[in-house]
Amino acid sequence: MALAHTRRLNKELAEIHAGTPVGINLVNADTFEKWLFTIEVMGTSEYEAKKFLLMFRFDNTYPISAPAVQFVVDDTHKAPVHPHVYSNGHICASILGREGWSPVLTVIAVCITIQSMLASCKKKEPPLDNDRYVPRAPENPKKVSISLMVSPLLA
Amino acid sequence: MKVKIKSWHAIAQWRWDTGNADHDEGDGEGDVCGICRVPYEGCCPTCKVPGDDCPLIWGECSHVFHMHCLLKWIGTPASKQQCPMDRRTWVTAERKVPSQASKESEVSA
Repeated sequence: MALAHTRRLNKELAEIHAGTPVGINLVNADTFEKWLFTIEVMGTSEYEAKKFLLMFRFDNTYPISAPAVQFVVDDTHKAPVHPHVYSNGHICASILGREGWSPVLTVIAVCITIQSMLASCKKKEPPLDNDRYVPRAPENPKKVSISLMVSPLLA
Repeated sequence: MKVKIKSWHAIAQWRWDTGNADHDEGDGEGDVCGICRVPYEGCCPTCKVPGDDCPLIWGECSHVFHMHCLLKWIGTPASKQQCPMDRRTWVTAERKVPSQASKESEVSA
C-alpha cells in the first residue's frame, strides 16, 4: 500500500531526478525512510571546496511534521563547524523545528536553507552550548527535548 | 442522408473553480495542493475518490488546499493554526461560486 508520505516523497524524488540546485546532489534515496544528499557551498565561503553529507529521515507523519535532518558524522564525514551545527551533526534551524516547519516545504527547500546557512557564515565556530548539548542529545534530532533545545543564539 | 445513432457515450470534464482561471502552468497537471502535491482535481492521500467527498478549502489569504490535507495540518499544535504558505492565521473563506449571471454569459459566449 502506498502510504501518504511515500506518495509525496515519490513526487519530490521525480523532481530531484529532473535536476537539483547547484551544490546539492542526491547520494541515496533507495528507501522512503532515509535519503542522503551532499551539500557544497558554491563560491567563496568558509566552507570552500568542502562537501558535507546531509541525512533526511522520514516517518509517516511527513510532510505534516518535519523530517529529521542532520549532517552525517562518521569515520569519513564531519559536520561543518558552524554556530548552528553541533559536532554530532544536529542542526539548529527554525524550519526544522516545531516553530518553523510548514508542510509546503520540501526536501530540496530544506537543502537550500542549510546550504545558504553555511554560505552566510562569517565565523567558523561551534555552537556555544556544543559541549553541553552533544553528550545529552538523543541520536535522532527530532527527539531532542525542549529543555535541551536552547537556541545557540540565546545561549 | 439519414443518420441513425446506435449508441453514444458522453464524456464530461470537471475542475474545481479556484478563482484562478488559467491555473494550468503548462505541465498539464494543473495546480497542486501544496501539502500533498497532488492536483486539486485528484484527492488527498487518505481518500480514494476525487470530487465532492474530497473537496478543496479556501483561505481568506487566498491559498487553496485539499480540505483534508489542511485540516490534518491545522490539527497539529505545530501549525499554530497558520496557513502553511504564509503563516497567517488560517481563516476559511466562503467558497467562491460565480453568480448565475456570469455562468450564463460564459455559456453563451
